[in-house]
Amino acid sequence: MKKLILLSVLLLAGILALPVRAATVSPAQTAETIRAALFDAQMAFSRDGHESAVQLAAAQTAYEDEFAATLASADPQADARIRAGFQTLEMALTVTDAPAFAAARAQVWTALLAGGTAVVEQATLSGDVPLAQTWLSVREYRTATRFSRPSADATLALTDLAAGTLTPEDAHLAVRADLLDTYQARLAQALRDLSAADASHFSVRRAELAALAEGYFAILAPVYEAQRGPDARLAAVNTFAALQTAALAGDDLTPMLAEVDVVLHDFRAAPLSPKEEARRAGQLLRYISLVPIEYGRGVVDGRVTRDFEIQEAITFQEGAQAAFDDLESLLAAQEPAQTQEVATHLTTLAHQLNATLSGTEIATPTEVKTTAEQATMRLEAIMPEAWTAQASTGDFDVITSLLDQLVAAVSTGDYEMAESSRLEAYAIMEVGPEAKLLVFAPQLNLTLEGLFWYGDDQQPGLGALIQARAPLNEIRATRTVLDGHLAEAQKTLSASTAPAAIASNAGVIVFREGLEAVLILASLLSSLRGVENVRLRRPLWVGSLGALLATGVTWLLVRGVLLTFARFGEKLEAVVSLIAIGVLLVITNWFFHKAYWMNWLAQFHARKRTLLNGEAGLWLGLAALGFTSVYREGFETVLFLQALVLEGGIKIVLVGLLVGLLATAVVGWITFRLQVNLPYKKMLIVTGVMIGVVLLVMVGNTVHILQVVGWLPIHTLPWLALPYWTGMWFGLFATWEGIGLQIIAAVFVVGSYYLVEGQKGRRKARTVSPLSPSSPPPHPLAPHDILPGMPKFNSIQEIFDLAPDYFLPENADGVEGSVQFEFSGEGGGAWFLQVNGPQLTVAPGHLSAHDMYASASAQDTLDIANGNLNPMTAYFKGKLNVLGDTSKIFAFQKVFRLPEQLAWLKSIK
Amino acid sequence: MFLRFKIFFLALFILALTACTPSVSEVPSTPVEEIPAASTDLSAIKIYLLAKEGELVTASLTLQDAAARYYSLAEVANFDYAALTTGQHAEVVEIVQDAQAAWRIASPRYEQIEGIVAGVPSLAEYDVILDAGASAEEDPEGATPFDLTLPDGRILPQPGNLFGVLEATLWGTDADFAALDILPDFDGNGVTDFGEAIPDANVLKAAADTFATYVADLQTASNAWQPTEADAFTALVVMIPTMTEYFDSWKNSRFVAGDASTQRDFVAISRLADIQDILGSLEVVYSGVQTLVATVNPIQADQIATDLTNLKTFVADVYAEEQTGKRFSPEEADLLGAEAQNRATALAGQIAQFAAQLNITVEE
Repeated sequence: MKKLILLSVLLLAGILALPVRAATVSPAQTAETIRAALFDAQMAFSRDGHESAVQLAAAQTAYEDEFAATLASADPQADARIRAGFQTLEMALTVTDAPAFAAARAQVWTALLAGGTAVVEQATLSGDVPLAQTWLSVREYRTATRFSRPSADATLALTDLAAGTLTPEDAHLAVRADLLDTYQARLAQALRDLSAADASHFSVRRAELAALAEGYFAILAPVYEAQRGPDARLAAVNTFAALQTAALAGDDLTPMLAEVDVVLHDFRAAPLSPKEEARRAGQLLRYISLVPIEYGRGVVDGRVTRDFEIQEAITFQEGAQAAFDDLESLLAAQEPAQTQEVATHLTTLAHQLNATLSGTEIATPTEVKTTAEQATMRLEAIMPEAWTAQASTGDFDVITSLLDQLVAAVSTGDYEMAESSRLEAYAIMEVGPEAKLLVFAPQLNLTLEGLFWYGDDQQPGLGALIQARAPLNEIRATRTVLDGHLAEAQKTLSASTAPAAIASNAGVIVFREGLEAVLILASLLSSLRGVENVRLRRPLWVGSLGALLATGVTWLLVRGVLLTFARFGEKLEAVVSLIAIGVLLVITNWFFHKAYWMNWLAQFHARKRTLLNGEAGLWLGLAALGFTSVYREGFETVLFLQALVLEGGIKIVLVGLLVGLLATAVVGWITFRLQVNLPYKKMLIVTGVMIGVVLLVMVGNTVHILQVVGWLPIHTLPWLALPYWTGMWFGLFATWEGIGLQIIAAVFVVGSYYLVEGQKGRRKARTVSPLSPSSPPPHPLAPHDILPGMPKFNSIQEIFDLAPDYFLPENADGVEGSVQFEFSGEGGGAWFLQVNGPQLTVAPGHLSAHDMYASASAQDTLDIANGNLNPMTAYFKGKLNVLGDTSKIFAFQKVFRLPEQLAWLKSIK
Repeated sequence: MFLRFKIFFLALFILALTACTPSVSEVPSTPVEEIPAASTDLSAIKIYLLAKEGELVTASLTLQDAAARYYSLAEVANFDYAALTTGQHAEVVEIVQDAQAAWRIASPRYEQIEGIVAGVPSLAEYDVILDAGASAEEDPEGATPFDLTLPDGRILPQPGNLFGVLEATLWGTDADFAALDILPDFDGNGVTDFGEAIPDANVLKAAADTFATYVADLQTASNAWQPTEADAFTALVVMIPTMTEYFDSWKNSRFVAGDASTQRDFVAISRLADIQDILGSLEVVYSGVQTLVATVNPIQADQIATDLTNLKTFVADVYAEEQTGKRFSPEEADLLGAEAQNRATALAGQIAQFAAQLNITVEE
């Protein structure tokens, strides 16, 4: 019985596993199996009917096993066409009708493509990226030609969708555009091939190609209907059906192909992506601007002096017309009247040029220029900002295309045409990117200009090479160099920063914020030493760990929010950069405005005291304290790093993050584990200065981005020639706006420092004056010069003996705190000082818990007390270490009157 | 120890969190420079290329030598080809057949590297010169960039690619390049078979000399070439989908159209053999980047290799049928060409997708 059950289970498992095994065959493989089997069936059709039947059965089985269920659900019409196609195939095989067999084969294949498209579109919209990616391979591609490559837009859109940088709707738009564009191209190819097959009287091929055309149109038909209405769609479908009927009947296809041409006239299935729209807009404006330039070169004193210049002007006019045709419906939807005006101007322009070429009427260059300018003026008024802002991308595309033409012309020995292409490419450079390059990378601009013209000793320019009728390989060599510099120019104008600079900035910020977190934690933990305080330390650590977790979650949330705005590209980067600058200003203020820092710490300590004094919620309270003290730094870091991620990508920022975290970990290890005091003050100063530099770089880059997206004007500094790398590394660009705002940022930070310090000095002066009206002006480094004859302290004991005399119990209400002193070397020892309201305790020895911990050598302490050593210098040099709740210094200032002998300390900053 | 562990743990934890974040850096407007995860070894492509070029150079020199000998013979006969054919029959037959044999060796050697030469931008001009460029008469736009200056001072402006000129000269398919009014009988069978032709010695010498020069230049350029991933992907995407072109040549050649064919080139060797050689070179190129493709999708990387081989096999099967004497109809040839083109377009499309995902620019 057990064996029977086991056998049943195994059998069941085997049955259940069948679909799993089947699923390992990708849709692409299945599609290829079907396609190949049907082709083999057709090849075997006339010579081996049995083989043909076997192949047909294999195709049907593959469809039923792998595709039928999915396609019937995603696109029932496609499924129906496939099934009908298989029936026709069987019938054609039975009656040995080769054309019908070929047509049905095409019907099955194109319906498969339609079904695959439906699956991909639905999966993309629902965010099922794996399904969409798997089925996207059931597609065809545009045939690569000399001037075009297969598009990868759909593939990349799904990659972006998976990465979260595209919404399902945007990804769907891109996928749809790619597939529709492909199938429209395939439709056009099928019709061309059909025409050739018709001319050659290939009956089987005619039938197959007509069916292919009908099948491709079936994929495009919904778009056709959306654009032209259901009646037009029906008429179009009928036209294609009639074409196929004629092909199967062996009729002359010429009239039917003409009808198809009419049906497809001006039909564009694929919507233009925003990028393509901007590119077309760039081409449109550029080509129109080039028309009068070319025309002006070809017409002098009412005579045509250079025919080819007029021909080139016509070429650009036609290019502009084609670009306008693509954009016309979009423009007309917004501004129908002005769009019509543009159309009229372009028609006038075409008329002027053609009349000149034919010699019937020669327009003056001014007339042509006026027409072109009127068209441009109208276009600039009605074009969306997004199109004109990204026009430089179109410029580089056009330049590349023209350089391709140049090389092609040289390869055929047509140097005149090559020179013409060179001039045009340079003209586009001149009126487009050059203006910005002059600002952001003037040296690069010079290099580019040289390569377009005469070059230098190392690399001859294209102008010189063409003039000398140089061989193709030399032209190609210069072209390669030029391409590299053009790519560099494009990169410069897209506001990129050197990856190493981005990583460094990230590292500095992370280390700085990490250092602050370490110091806050060290301060909080300093009074909780000893085994007996483990229970109090633990919640602080737990809270800190929680803060790190929360920081990670915050990162994800912030990224998620930003990703929803990713489509705004550089504009998003500009906004986030502004936020980052705000964060940096806060950070720099935190460094320079020590008072804020102290207040912040004081708040933490006040909360800690309250918690320690209370009984309820102690653990949670301390955990919350640890959390808030670290999370604040984490939150700042997350905000700042977003700008860097947008600018340089997550991998580069991760490198900086890792370095910053490691440095923080080292400091944390030394502080918490080894219990060694580091020169924190120095470290804060160094990192503060570094952050100041980061701030200036960030300001420079942000201004650059704002100028690139057109949110800030550009005013150059002609007398300031900055090398290209200063922009990449330091955000230094020779514009008034960039340099000016960087100076303002520097003045703001440094100025605020002096402002705050000045206020502190005045506050101290007011505090000192009642005690020492005749106290000398501040002079921190030479107290003996200020107070000659001041009595000296000879021992630590003498210093502490003074303490009760200067204690002000009337001010000590509510003040609590303790300091543990450790003096090393000869005359050293441990002392503590404890204030508990009006109660002061000063004695040698140790406290079990303390708020502050100070250590120094006995000699250095005496030197400080006697004015022979600046305590701040001692602190900076690490001779004097203070840890713990330094906010007590402020509380103690209120309850201690400074001994006259030490009054000079108040002047120290 | 516990503290150290905690710090280490926290650092790892933060990194893991950020690493799990989607690749958000790839915001469209700020392209990120991708670093391919796998290194590629493209040196095998160059080694293969140079090895084939070595054989091509040898064949070109043999051809040049034969052309020089033929020219000397013709010069002695004062370029009277009728007298030459009758007076020096054995020598003429030997030399012409030597030259044809050298061409038959050179042509497949070149086809075996054409996928690389034509697909790599820095070498592509040699493909136009040697094998792909049309004559100015056929295609003024795509014509070869050189003129052929003959020893007698005549100039043939942009006569077309050198393999084509030499083939037409040696097999007598162009009246400008061979003495077609003379009908030699090389094998003594009483008729002038196809390929039994008397070349114009001036054209043959000039073409063979120029051919040897450009082949040597190609070798030099190839030596200087440093293969890049962009080169490899460009070669694959550009060259794979040219099946229609080759099948059209085949369809219109005498291998399909028979004696009705008026095609000047591709008469000595079936274009189907050329296609296999080209696909063979593309297999070499693909093997150089397959590892890289596999970093994106290992299954599809293997599938592409298989499909490429299958495409080659498909052509080989057709060629095998042709070799056994089958003559395909033009419509069958058209259908086969369309099938090969469909497969090739699909392959090129898939490779282009990987290039885009790997951020490798396929040059245009």
